[in-house]
Amino acid sequence: MGELMRVLTYAEAIREAIREEMRVNPKVFIAGEDIGIYGGAQKVTKGLYEEFGAERVIDTPISEAAIVGLGIGAALMGMKPIVEIMYMDFLPIALEQIINHAAKIRFMSGGELKVPLTIRTQYSLGRAHGAQHSQFFPSILLNIPGIIIALPSTPYDAYGLMKTAIKGENPVIYVECCLLYHRVKGEIPDQEYTVPFGKADVKRVGDDVTIVAISRMVHEALEAAKKLEEENISVEVVDPRTIQPLDIKTITESVKKTNRVVIASDDCVFGGIGAEIAASIQEHAFSYLDAEIIRVGAPNIPVPFSPQLEKNYMPSREDIVKAVRRVMYLEGD
Amino acid sequence: MTNIYMPRFDPAMETARIIEWIRKEGDRVRKGEPIVKVEGEKTTFEVESPIDGVITKIMYPENSEVKAGSIIAIISEQAVEGGEKPRVKATPIAKRIAEEHGINLSMVKGSGPDGRITKDDVIREIEKAKFKPIEAATVKIGEAKVLRRLRLSGLRKTISERLTYSHKTIPSASIAVDVDFEELIKLREMMEKSINIDISLTAFIVKAVAKALRKHIMLNSSIEGDEVTVYDSININVAIHTEDGLVAPVIFNAEAKSIEEISKEIKTLTEKAERRQLTLEMLTGGTFTVTNLGPYGVDTFTGGTFTVTNLGPYGVDTFTPIINPPQTAILGVGSVKNKVVVEDNDLVLKPMTTLTLVFNHQVIDGVPAAKFLDEVKKNLENPLILILK
Amino acid sequence: MSIIEVSSTGLGEFKDIGRDKLLRMFRDMLRIRFFEERVEELFLVRGLLVGPAHLYFGQEAIAVGVCSSINPDDVVLSNHRGHGHALAKGIPAKYVMAELFGKATGTCKGLGGSMHVCMYPKLGALYSSAIVGSNIPIAVGVGFALRNTGRIAVCFFGDGAVNTGAFHEGLNMASYLKVPVLFICENNQYAISMKASRGIAARSIAERVSYGYNMLCYVVDGNDVLSVYKASLEASSRVRGGLGPVFLECRTYRLKGHGVYDKAEYRDKSECIEWYEKDPIALLKNKLLQLNILSPREISDLEDEVKREIDEAELFAQNSQILEFRELYSFVYG
Repeated sequence: MGELMRVLTYAEAIREAIREEMRVNPKVFIAGEDIGIYGGAQKVTKGLYEEFGAERVIDTPISEAAIVGLGIGAALMGMKPIVEIMYMDFLPIALEQIINHAAKIRFMSGGELKVPLTIRTQYSLGRAHGAQHSQFFPSILLNIPGIIIALPSTPYDAYGLMKTAIKGENPVIYVECCLLYHRVKGEIPDQEYTVPFGKADVKRVGDDVTIVAISRMVHEALEAAKKLEEENISVEVVDPRTIQPLDIKTITESVKKTNRVVIASDDCVFGGIGAEIAASIQEHAFSYLDAEIIRVGAPNIPVPFSPQLEKNYMPSREDIVKAVRRVMYLEGD
Repeated sequence: MTNIYMPRFDPAMETARIIEWIRKEGDRVRKGEPIVKVEGEKTTFEVESPIDGVITKIMYPENSEVKAGSIIAIISEQAVEGGEKPRVKATPIAKRIAEEHGINLSMVKGSGPDGRITKDDVIREIEKAKFKPIEAATVKIGEAKVLRRLRLSGLRKTISERLTYSHKTIPSASIAVDVDFEELIKLREMMEKSINIDISLTAFIVKAVAKALRKHIMLNSSIEGDEVTVYDSININVAIHTEDGLVAPVIFNAEAKSIEEISKEIKTLTEKAERRQLTLEMLTGGTFTVTNLGPYGVDTFTGGTFTVTNLGPYGVDTFTPIINPPQTAILGVGSVKNKVVVEDNDLVLKPMTTLTLVFNHQVIDGVPAAKFLDEVKKNLENPLILILK
Repeated sequence: MSIIEVSSTGLGEFKDIGRDKLLRMFRDMLRIRFFEERVEELFLVRGLLVGPAHLYFGQEAIAVGVCSSINPDDVVLSNHRGHGHALAKGIPAKYVMAELFGKATGTCKGLGGSMHVCMYPKLGALYSSAIVGSNIPIAVGVGFALRNTGRIAVCFFGDGAVNTGAFHEGLNMASYLKVPVLFICENNQYAISMKASRGIAARSIAERVSYGYNMLCYVVDGNDVLSVYKASLEASSRVRGGLGPVFLECRTYRLKGHGVYDKAEYRDKSECIEWYEKDPIALLKNKLLQLNILSPREISDLEDEVKREIDEAELFAQNSQILEFRELYSFVYG
């Protein structure tokens, strides 16, 4: 193809998408706690304050509801706010604004009003931050119509999805994974591009089993696939990228091919994203299933602080391998 | 409980039709009693019950087109007193595939947890059922790709299937020889004048081949895997062209029959073929094939030991027919044309034809095959041999 | 920041405002009152409406006073008790009525209902929240977008809102960002059954705001439309001038129950009677008569005219269609 590429980390990809949009559209601004002078708690917005100044990079006090409300109000007036909720654990403080207002204003106004607001947040599972600073629960919002939920796993997807969020006309919860910020590098085109919402990406093609993986678990799934290849098991990894809208078509096409599916994500298995995906798969592809649909995720307990215990808590590639072997009826757990 | 399977008339035949259920569900049947009439391309066959028992389930109604090897009925040794069928545990895809292939899940052993039947279990069952024989003469073929189930298997379709199969599995070689039919034609004219009936050229060829086969009996054989069966009976499939296509019924014991008898038989068989009255018995048991009609060998039938096919009447000079598996060889006969040949340093016009022998190299090598072909040529060029016993 | 106590307007100040404006304000207040009377009838007597309805009886002076003092391109945010705001901002009564009937011709195409009627962007009625206090942070965002445009955001809420998290986060953020927002607190003394003086752990709302958020506060007699008007005019011009947000505490009384079915039995009847004597419409009417701005005949004609408007609004609403269900899916994402 001969396209010029640049190599960026996951965090850099997000930053570049924001930076580029702020350069071309004066209505784009960012707001949140410590995102300006401090460069962001995880340094994702580093450099933006220096480039765009205090008028467009707003450091706010600790007021999650007001931060999101600020975003909603500005969006209603035609601006393109990108607000940050520092940890997903803080999202509940703003959930009232998100659920009752951001998600519903377009509908309640009969389509007259729009809320083109992007809410960025991240989950810090794996950094020994304890039960109130490690949570990942995007499925809570899945049950609220009117919100787009994006979960990038790679720099390529991070840039593309952020672009789509900013350019779009809907409220988007854009959930980043802290562990991926600076460790995952990837090639992205030099030229601007977008990743559409509601289009899953097959990250690895295979024939024997489908793994639907979300965010950090995409990487775990790919590692599990390499391991399973040694046992001659051919794994297909499908990354939905957005869970609302959910590309159930690509997922069921894969399941129709492989007849077996494992769903892997970092949230609690019970009531997590996997529950909706599994229900949808069995609804659309029941007669193609050769085994139960197994979900790999976190146990039904809060996140423990103690580092070793947290490690045990986190779903892993080993869990995925076990699940795959189960759906393939291979010897014991 | 015993399964009744849809018989396979021929290794490459995929489906057959249920014409009539002679006995019905719930009937008591005796061993050997015919229970259902089925039809292949042109033949009908009555399937007999293998045991004494009661027909507990009929899987397909009359007029169904069913995949060969599928279970079409179940016979129980004792009458089943109503009662509930035990629930079959099978995965959704296993159920789907079983349904598509007519596999009865209650007969499948499940390898999954708690005896659950998985996709692999059903696939294994399908592979097994594929090769249920109807009689000893029917021979297993090697792994053939399962073709899509066809609703209409016209003769044409079958022919092309044969072509594929034969072409794929048999390492064949071919040799050809030109034969001078001058004497043969003279003899034929004489015979026709005396009995006042037309005698088919093919009849002479069949006789010539039969005699030659007795001397080169290796070509009168079939091969199954590593095993070659050399036959004592010389039963020659003769390809007959009908409106619907090619059939190749068998002239049994061709060696013992006179040319007149063979010719009559060919005529009768041709009539029967045109009227679709050929039965399976007439089509199976051949040891060699003579093809009359071109490179497509014959059709669906097993049991022949050698096939003769004569495309001469259709203006074809030479051609390379395809072996009729599991037979070892086939002889193709081209048209008789006047050709210029050298005889005693003179150029003369002779009625020549080309005979092409295609043989399975696994069974026989070039030299013995050539010797056989030479024998056939000798028989045809000295046709009085054919009249003598 | 200081608290400005606005005194009631003397007769003399009336002349400054001008006859046309006075008549407009009177008509607007009548419209609200007659509209709410009709709504009450449609619910309680004729049983033609369902759902909630939080009626504006007794508070008309606030909606009208504020809306008369701001510009057409200023942006208003309302709450569940928003019929008055909607009509005062200029939304035709027929569209408000149609919304109550759930018709496609309503301000929200029938998808919002009574608590969201004050949503008509063309006329500056931007958004109405049914969640108490939640329009405050959103108003801050609206103000943020209106910085340096000369336009302001006006946010209506009641005494119940001043204890919510959204109120505190919002006012703090508003002061911090110095956004051009005019906060109008309609202290009608009750949040359903909770008396304001009980639930608010501050000496007064104005003191809470003034000390807590360093915001300029006006305290106004919410039943005197001219006081409200003058205070609002002054406050809004300060907001426009770049002072940052300004707060108006308008003291009034909720003459009826919280919602249309609420008999307000938790209140003293005598309290109500006391406040009926300070009915804002009666107060203005008397002043108009006193100053010979309108004759009794003219007033009665005006009342008839407005009543007819309400009749037409009801007829319009009754004759309108509802949306097709499948259209609903097109209003979720864009």
